[in-house]
Amino acid sequence: MTDKNGFFDLSKSTLSRRTALKGLAAGAGLAVAPGFIRYSQAQSSAPVKIGFQSHRTGIGAAYGRWYEKTTAAAVKAINDAGGINGRPVEVVIEDDGTDPARGAEVVGKFATQHKTDIVFGTLFSHVVIGSAPAAGEAKIPYFVVSEGHHVASTKLNRYVFQPGITDVKSQIQSMAPWIAANAGKKVTQIFPDFAFGYDHRDYLPPALKAQGADVIAQIAIPPTESSFTKYFPQIPAETEVIYHVMVGPAVLTFVKELGEFYGSNRPQLFGFMDSLEATDINSPGLEFLDGSHFWEGSPRYAQPDDSAAQKAYRAAVGIDDNGAAVGDPKDVSTASHMFGCWETLYVVKKAMEDAGYKGPEDRAKLVEATEALTEFAEGPEHPQGPKTFNGKIHQCFGIQNISKVEGGKLKVVHKTKIEDGLYEPEGDYTTQAL
Amino acid sequence: MLPTPAFAHASDRGHVLLLPTGYYVAGGALAVAASFLVLALLPPDTLDRFWRRRLPLFAFGNSFRTITSLISFAGFAILIAAGLSGSRDPLSNPLPLVIWTLLWVGLAMLQGLLGDLWSWLNPWYGPWRIISRLIGREDEAQETRLPAWLGCWPAVILFFAYAWFELIDPAPDDPARLAFAAGFYWLLTFIAMLVFGYRAWSRRCEFLTVFFAMVARFAILERNKVERDEDGRLNVCWPGAKLRAAEPLSAGGIAFLLLALSSVSFDGLSKTFFWLDLFGINPLEYPGRTALIGVGSFGLVLTFVLLAVAFLLAVVLGQRLAASRRSLGEAAGLLVWSIVPIALAYHIAHYLTALLVDGQYAVAALSDPFALGWNLFGTAGMQIEAGIVAGADSAWWLWNLQAGIIIAGHMLAVLVAHGLAWRLHPVPSRAALSQLPLTVLMIAYTVFGLWLLATPTAG
Repeated sequence: MTDKNGFFDLSKSTLSRRTALKGLAAGAGLAVAPGFIRYSQAQSSAPVKIGFQSHRTGIGAAYGRWYEKTTAAAVKAINDAGGINGRPVEVVIEDDGTDPARGAEVVGKFATQHKTDIVFGTLFSHVVIGSAPAAGEAKIPYFVVSEGHHVASTKLNRYVFQPGITDVKSQIQSMAPWIAANAGKKVTQIFPDFAFGYDHRDYLPPALKAQGADVIAQIAIPPTESSFTKYFPQIPAETEVIYHVMVGPAVLTFVKELGEFYGSNRPQLFGFMDSLEATDINSPGLEFLDGSHFWEGSPRYAQPDDSAAQKAYRAAVGIDDNGAAVGDPKDVSTASHMFGCWETLYVVKKAMEDAGYKGPEDRAKLVEATEALTEFAEGPEHPQGPKTFNGKIHQCFGIQNISKVEGGKLKVVHKTKIEDGLYEPEGDYTTQAL
Repeated sequence: MLPTPAFAHASDRGHVLLLPTGYYVAGGALAVAASFLVLALLPPDTLDRFWRRRLPLFAFGNSFRTITSLISFAGFAILIAAGLSGSRDPLSNPLPLVIWTLLWVGLAMLQGLLGDLWSWLNPWYGPWRIISRLIGREDEAQETRLPAWLGCWPAVILFFAYAWFELIDPAPDDPARLAFAAGFYWLLTFIAMLVFGYRAWSRRCEFLTVFFAMVARFAILERNKVERDEDGRLNVCWPGAKLRAAEPLSAGGIAFLLLALSSVSFDGLSKTFFWLDLFGINPLEYPGRTALIGVGSFGLVLTFVLLAVAFLLAVVLGQRLAASRRSLGEAAGLLVWSIVPIALAYHIAHYLTALLVDGQYAVAALSDPFALGWNLFGTAGMQIEAGIVAGADSAWWLWNLQAGIIIAGHMLAVLVAHGLAWRLHPVPSRAALSQLPLTVLMIAYTVFGLWLLATPTAG
């Protein structure tokens, strides 16, 4: 599927898992690359090299696999349409083992050994946080797809961007209007007792308050807990909505035990798809979720009103109507997050074209061109929906989906507005030296 | 503090958590205990008569061994080159996939089933034959300058280094890193074989040969020794029958077998919530391998020490119970062979899911080892079906398979230990009595093994 220079061979009709893998310098390769459109208008036909910091092994591997598939699909689409500035895109994958120390090492390798133009694609926040200083030091633009608030908090550095996926603070905040208006005014939160849970613990109450609703109880569950029944009596009887964001292998047990605790007479349930990414919602134990609601970044299941862009995106990545791999229905995707890889690559393309980017010497220009971006229209490049971009905090803002579990599928019942997720910037990266 | 979303996904262990695994653990323990009781009641020579049975197949010589090893060496050299210059992606580069999945998991299974394929496939024998012929030192069993007191401790140390690299090192999957490690090890071994003799080095120092030879003792195929003018006949035998004639292992050999089992067990243990919690590590925010080097190194040693102490204690107690005058070394060296089926069972159960998924990646990667767009075997573009191990149904099947393998492995271990004890203690009642502590250990290890596969884990 890739030719000898690691480019996608577009003569094959199906997309294989083998992305552009390694780069010999291009030149001669292009002439023989079958199916490649001509790049004659470009001054240089050397490929744009993207270093993909990938969770190929370690605890992020299930996400990493889908990030790789999505990235491969986006690169194929970009190359199909003439590449970036008339140059083909080549991806170099390095595995970070979902390990922050290894992540920093990998960023260094991209900058000095592979000499990639940018680093891209990191999901796990601790890897982002561990790698960001290395990117800043090497002065290599680092485009993450992490959904953490770390980029927007402006505590990283000027080379780190998150233009393709919204951050968790914005996501949580934008859920509040719908919850208050449709689910209930008295909310009890159940979350794992560590940083991930704390985002929800801290950002939800003020957002609900602004909508005239209240968090009446917050139940923090120790991360190593595998049985939950003993915590349920702490849920106040007047609770109208249980807001749950459990993660890890015990999620199924949590839902099952919650179901046993309440029976058929339960409060409304509202959760985040992070709990069940890459997991079939029709798994045994999850029956109790029927009729409950979830945040979804991008819908897992095909919706009747999907845009042409959304349909094309799903087809390109290779997910079926149930959000699983085409031809492998048990391989459920990480739909709520992986679209961010696709959209980020198109932001990179746009910024490189705006900057007239030619090579690593133009990295500072690329940073400034990215910061100058303000919005991304919904379409083939941004199939999840329209977005705005705040160049000062390097973070995009977009719509969110609220989906109802109905008949074993997730049906989108509400799309938030971009404004629902906006907040006051906490700093300004553009004041930092390049 | 920066917020840190966790993406620890619900994972397939989540489905196992909903299965009634407690019943399996109890059932497994009972099955192992019952097999001990049944064996104790059987006349002592029943097993022996059973194990002596052979179904002869055909005979063949060793003439192709040099060729197969040379082919294997050529393949190894290509893989090293691929590791250095092919894809940087460990799931696209064939080197990590062949070494960690096809060799360490796949070949170990085949050795356990079919016997010593490694002696035909190892990448040293052929090159050694050629070079040693050129320098005129062709005797495979030449007198060695390797000091006798070293025993097979070099293999123990090298196996520990290997286990450390596999389980603790931050990036054993990194193709270039692995290419350097494997290439260096090949060269070191090759030189040592030339200096100290092929047989001495491969039997006492080359840890893969030592491991694979031990595992092959359990296989259902046995080949008679190749005599001067007669080919070796291949026979079918019962699993474990070859252990009947096993010689007692030296102290180093005992340590090696116990390390082989304890290191794989530790790989399972190190990812459990239980273990991580002991060190205050949040499994949902797994900090990555680099942060756990200290804890992991400690754990790798600890599990070995605990298993060794438990095993020796069981043997000592058994000797006391049977009032045996045999030395502890002889008894332990013989009885440790009963660990082989457990180690093999645990190896298979533990790596089963990795084999099912990464095995597919390996098949695909082998078609295009240098990421040059080749499609040598027509598999380069194949779809990797990760779903084969995903979801509740797969979790059920895998759990039952794994539990079955673990329980069967321990039952066979009891059987082997029984057969060996009979050699140590010809009086049946004493033989049975001597086995009591070891059987308790095996029951405990059954419970431990099943628990490792059922308890919540990170990732």
